Amino acid sequence: MEGSQSRGTPSNMNFTPKRAPNNLYRSYGTGAGLTSVRKGKLTSLKLPTSREVPKARDLSEKDPEQISKLTEKNWNLYYVTPLYKFLYTGLKSYSRQLSAFIVAEKQKGIAVEVGLETNFKVNFSIIQGLTEIEEDAEAVFIQICSKPKFATEATAETVVWSGWLSCVNCNTEYLSSLPPEFTCLPLFCANGAETMTALVTTWFQRTFDCNFGPLRIGSNSLCWLAAMWTGCEPEMGIRYLKLSWSLPCSPPLNVSFTVHPGDAWELWRSIRQDQVRMTIEEVDQFMSCIESHFFRHFKIHLSAGELIDVSTSLGSAHRDGKIKLMSSHYMSGILTLLTESAFVMMPI
Amino acid sequence: MEDSVIPFFEKTLQRIPSSSLKSILSEWGFLSAEQLQDLHFQQSKHILHNKVLAFCEENGMRIRHVIQLDMIYNHEYPNKRNWSVYQFSGREDDAVVLNMTEFSQKFKVNLKDLLRHVSIGMKKCEDDAVWIRVAWGDNFTKPNQFKPTYVVYQLQTPYVFISNLNVKHRPLLSQALVIATKHDEIKEIQLRGRCLKSLKDLVLRRYKQSFQTHQPKPLQERNSPERDQGIVHEHAKRLADLKEVATQTFGDGPLPKLETAVFKLETKFKDPENRILTNRPEPFRCAVKFSSPSFLESLKSLVTLGVASAPVSPLLSSIPQKARNHFVISERGPGVPSTPGP
Repeated sequence: MEGSQSRGTPSNMNFTPKRAPNNLYRSYGTGAGLTSVRKGKLTSLKLPTSREVPKARDLSEKDPEQISKLTEKNWNLYYVTPLYKFLYTGLKSYSRQLSAFIVAEKQKGIAVEVGLETNFKVNFSIIQGLTEIEEDAEAVFIQICSKPKFATEATAETVVWSGWLSCVNCNTEYLSSLPPEFTCLPLFCANGAETMTALVTTWFQRTFDCNFGPLRIGSNSLCWLAAMWTGCEPEMGIRYLKLSWSLPCSPPLNVSFTVHPGDAWELWRSIRQDQVRMTIEEVDQFMSCIESHFFRHFKIHLSAGELIDVSTSLGSAHRDGKIKLMSSHYMSGILTLLTESAFVMMPI
Repeated sequence: MEDSVIPFFEKTLQRIPSSSLKSILSEWGFLSAEQLQDLHFQQSKHILHNKVLAFCEENGMRIRHVIQLDMIYNHEYPNKRNWSVYQFSGREDDAVVLNMTEFSQKFKVNLKDLLRHVSIGMKKCEDDAVWIRVAWGDNFTKPNQFKPTYVVYQLQTPYVFISNLNVKHRPLLSQALVIATKHDEIKEIQLRGRCLKSLKDLVLRRYKQSFQTHQPKPLQERNSPERDQGIVHEHAKRLADLKEVATQTFGDGPLPKLETAVFKLETKFKDPENRILTNRPEPFRCAVKFSSPSFLESLKSLVTLGVASAPVSPLLSSIPQKARNHFVISERGPGVPSTPGP
């Protein structure tokens, strides 16, 4: 399903969402006669075998302040099913509703970990510049600030939680099968206390009849990211390429392999054929070269382990669905890849 | 009692696990037998500590007493620290028995000569090791008791194990040690870890296993009548073979405990099959770090699983053979194979 030879078990393929799928979404499928949706058209959803080489385009040109909220933070990744009757004109109202929901839940005794005497202020906003194609929905940013209840106007608010929903280079086939009342923003990134993330996702689920689930980054995607980031070396400088594997022995062994950026780039460049597009075969070969250089020296098969982390000075990604973007350049390529992974998780 | 004694004492006391508090306080000997008897070790830590503190104040505790307590704790729990290994050179015979008084005096005098405010604790332990604790100040400030350097000098060997030594203080400590032990110089060797005993075992070659790099005893020679009995038996046989190879290479007993192994590689990239980066004269610069609760055990396990080939790569067998776990491997370096990968 993922193009040529798979690199280890794509664990996110086996994930089944805990809750029942979106009820409203299903009823549209049968009632409105959109049989194509039910006919398993989605099972043909494939991860691409080639993609465009990311270009150094600074995404923050349009909206530098908003984009700066996305960089240099650790994000936990989730996928979310399409939102029913989500309106961009309603952002102010959503801000008030979510704020009220948090207060209500707090009074019920559900801990929010920030202390009893705090006020929460929620703000929904749009992030411009993330969409790539016409069908992409505009990204939505949610920020939750807190302020001690009896503080003066002058006291600064602290940001206690932030999150954003986006869709970059969406799957148009999937989108065309969606009824128009649905908005597709499948990639959800959250930063802050887990209890707060739970409150936000609960509110979304109740308000827009959608479902959230953790989005792990499969080994295949991590390899793509490694190659994509390496490709940034000549223009931006990645300072290092660090890959971490976990080997299944007892006690478990972690192997981290850090390559000099110039040498990583030389290796990648000598594998690459086309100027514009890069393929999964090239990525596989890149990883295979690194693994075999390792094997030459240590006689250990890294392929028996699992790739769990990739990092460069431009960003890092972890198998458990964590990502950090240090630069606003090249963001679009990475978000495209993550959006694809989120689409694969959409229930049928 | 001095102001600075109480926080230092409390911090030291807090670190001691409840299970060994009684034995450590007894060994310390600062509290009288009656006072020790008066303590109820089942009480809550908070109440117990307050009582101990009260007794200590009664007895007129000073900084040097707390230093003694800290040293006892660290001797009991050395694995809470990260240790680096250093080696002396230049003396004819390390086996000559050191005159402890002379050593102690020379070391203290020398160090105090170089730095006005320094606090030194010294203790000879039963396993033939001298434990030294140094708290560093400078010419204007009193020593910081919260971040001391610990030195363990293994007598009759050229080896010293040091923990928490600042780059700034290194030349001072080195000089004091070299002069006090009548050596020419002291150098750090590339061996680091938490388990002090394992580090000692490695440098003193107490780990007997040879870690052979040549092909172990051929296994095909054994006549195996089960060969015809299907895949289940073949698989079991393969697992047994791997286990035997692992045992031959690593031995049966416990392996020295090392948490990391770091290799800085400066070798060329070779891929004759696909001609990637062929004829590139520059090395493919990379660094590999292995991390595990016990790296050698993990390696043995990998051999048993068939994930690591046996004989073990010469780079890895260098670890116990050379008693090192940090290496720089260049093209001319030891054991770089000329044949490509799998």
